[in-house]
Amino acid sequence: MRERWPIAAVGAVTPAGVGIPALVEALEDPHWQPRLGFDDDSSPPLPVARPPGFAAKHHIPPLVARRLDRAAGLLAVAAREALASLPAPLPWPGERVGVCAATWNAGTQALVEVLSAIFLAGPEEAPPAQFPSTVANAPASQLAILEKLGGPNLTFFEKQVGGLRVLSQAARLLSRRRAEAVLACGVDEAQWLNAESYDRLRVLRRPGATGMILAEGAATLVLAAEPAPPPLAWLAGWGSAGSPTPTHTYPTTVSALDAACRQALATAGVAPRDVDVYVSLANGLPALDELEIALVEGLFATPRPAAISITERMGDGAFASSLRALVATLLLAGQLRPRWSLPPHLASRSFHLPTARPATALVAGLAGGGSAVALLLAAP
Amino acid sequence: MGEAWVTGVGLVTALGTDRETTWRRLVAGESGIGPLSLFDTRAYRTSIAAEVDAASLPLPPLPPRLRRMSRASRFAVAATTEALSDAGLLGSEVVAGAALVLSGGAAGLFEAEGYARRRLLHGRRVRGLREFIEVPQDAPTDRVAEVFWVRGPRLTVTTACSSSTIAVGLAAEMVRDGEVAVALAGGSDALCRLTFAGFNSLRATDPEPCKPFDRRRHGLNIGEGAGVLVIEDSQHAAARHARPYAVIRGLGMTNDAFHMTQPEPSGAAWERTLRSALADAGVAVEAIDYINAHGTATEQNDAAECAAYQRVFGERLAAIPVSSVKGALGHCLCGAGGIEAALTVLAVARQVVPPTVGFAEADPACPIDAVPGVGRQVTVRHALSCSFAFGGNSAAIVIGAVP
Repeated sequence: MRERWPIAAVGAVTPAGVGIPALVEALEDPHWQPRLGFDDDSSPPLPVARPPGFAAKHHIPPLVARRLDRAAGLLAVAAREALASLPAPLPWPGERVGVCAATWNAGTQALVEVLSAIFLAGPEEAPPAQFPSTVANAPASQLAILEKLGGPNLTFFEKQVGGLRVLSQAARLLSRRRAEAVLACGVDEAQWLNAESYDRLRVLRRPGATGMILAEGAATLVLAAEPAPPPLAWLAGWGSAGSPTPTHTYPTTVSALDAACRQALATAGVAPRDVDVYVSLANGLPALDELEIALVEGLFATPRPAAISITERMGDGAFASSLRALVATLLLAGQLRPRWSLPPHLASRSFHLPTARPATALVAGLAGGGSAVALLLAAP
Repeated sequence: MGEAWVTGVGLVTALGTDRETTWRRLVAGESGIGPLSLFDTRAYRTSIAAEVDAASLPLPPLPPRLRRMSRASRFAVAATTEALSDAGLLGSEVVAGAALVLSGGAAGLFEAEGYARRRLLHGRRVRGLREFIEVPQDAPTDRVAEVFWVRGPRLTVTTACSSSTIAVGLAAEMVRDGEVAVALAGGSDALCRLTFAGFNSLRATDPEPCKPFDRRRHGLNIGEGAGVLVIEDSQHAAARHARPYAVIRGLGMTNDAFHMTQPEPSGAAWERTLRSALADAGVAVEAIDYINAHGTATEQNDAAECAAYQRVFGERLAAIPVSSVKGALGHCLCGAGGIEAALTVLAVARQVVPPTVGFAEADPACPIDAVPGVGRQVTVRHALSCSFAFGGNSAAIVIGAVP
């Protein structure tokens, strides 16, 4: 018998704002666009989509919020939204609730602060309060401390596929009975030196040209064994493969992405023709569009399934991959009618926006360096 | 369903850039901790570390684009080369389908610090591109995949100092569950100014060589290196007549939900980790004959760790050798768990437990047999390799002798 795992609750802080309602409102507005850039006028003008006006202290007690760096604050607020939709108190002891987080850049702000102190003031001026936040697992650990979650606490660093990886790893924790519920999360923070580095690699969007937007935010999906409330969706299958590629580039072939998608479908027992919605990984980079064309033309016959694309507009990263899974969950739960237009490479190949509540969704991801992960989600 | 056999071991440490040199010198009670030459330490409170002799790394022939890999990636590639060669799988088609599960860590940060310094001091006009390409923590994982053409699932675990213990445990689980026949697992980390200054700022470093579990201990020394294991399904390994070192039997992971840098002092949280690992392995408390401890040599960590061992093993703890290799190899942070898992595998295979270099005077708060001096011949049926990390993330794996 195949295993499948219920997604019991979701929460998010996105460039659309704090909470799922703000996200749904943005996705149902065909004209919505993120505000790009940093609040600080001294930072370089770079295409970074951030939650407008976000401060953790507006959503959790200020004395608690001040202990959290920005990434930890984003994750804490997203996780609280998800936990708030579950029965209170939680039906599982805290020691049986785990966290699986993904990030591409959590800790960067603290890292730059510590390096600035070392280089500008001297090594002995390195701030001890900031150093612990330089570890990428700080948001997941802070979440465990804040919510008293004593189960396994894992963080994965896998660029643009981490947010999908954590769902498969959360399912593994449930399957091995290491936890009874797991918060599968993605979180990224915007930091100017980090963004500037990607700009130097010429992968970020520039005026009048294609390219990627970096996204800041956090998304949480709670996977739970019984007892749990009625699920929003099921995680029914997943696949993963790699294509050996230099760490800062995409592969030149679609083999790993194709293998991951086919594994996800096979483990779920779903044929490609039975996929109702394909969740695009397009992020504005032409090289990725070409790989996606090769993927969908090999995977889906005509008539094509419906498709949605959010990453090219909302921004990319580990958080963004988690957000794609979350948006698929909302679609399968019948809580979302997305109205964002599809990117030309999908629209020109007869993909279309979903017009009815789907029963299955395929969510694909591919990271620079060639790691691919795919999930198959199903309606309850 | 098969067992998770370890059929290859690769090590890069401050004691040697290969497995056998590291083992021989460690068992002899030598230390790899000494003056740090990688960067100028005159402005730092401490000036010693466990630094790898990177010039003598046994790397395979590499194409030009890979010859400028970061220090951390070079360690990972060298350790993987040795592990695959040891397993008889170097150049084998089997590697293409393997899972690759390594730790994150500083990755290319040491190299990027040069760029960051120039950028912070001189503004946007400074040049630099290659220096920060390997900043993402999964860069060493990507590089290993690229060098050895690994096309299976690729995971990078970053839970600070428990990262590569978890990587080894998860990889063994993937093998035991039949997801893959072979997995490459472990971790790599490299010295950099950030961690060196950061641990200094926490007053967690000892300006002298560290003394784990010793009543005179004053903190840790930072180290670097890599440990990579070839973990193979027992039926797959037996079919090709591979020689197993040991069996990875179980993994335990918890979070103490207590504090970002301080351990929960009663040991109750880490007790859950240890019991979880034993339960996963199906191994009784009485069957553990050796503990490879986290043993950072900080006041609080060593005491809390020993409290956890007391809670699990009770009076029997006094009869179990417990050693920390950090007295010889420094604290290799995200690479530590992989290195220590590799050394624990060798301890089980060779029935010799490594010593706690630097330990001489017992501390009442650490009532253990810390294996002073040199390595010791011991019958080891099962061993624990334990890691306790920033943010309360702890992990332990149970490693058993081959039946």
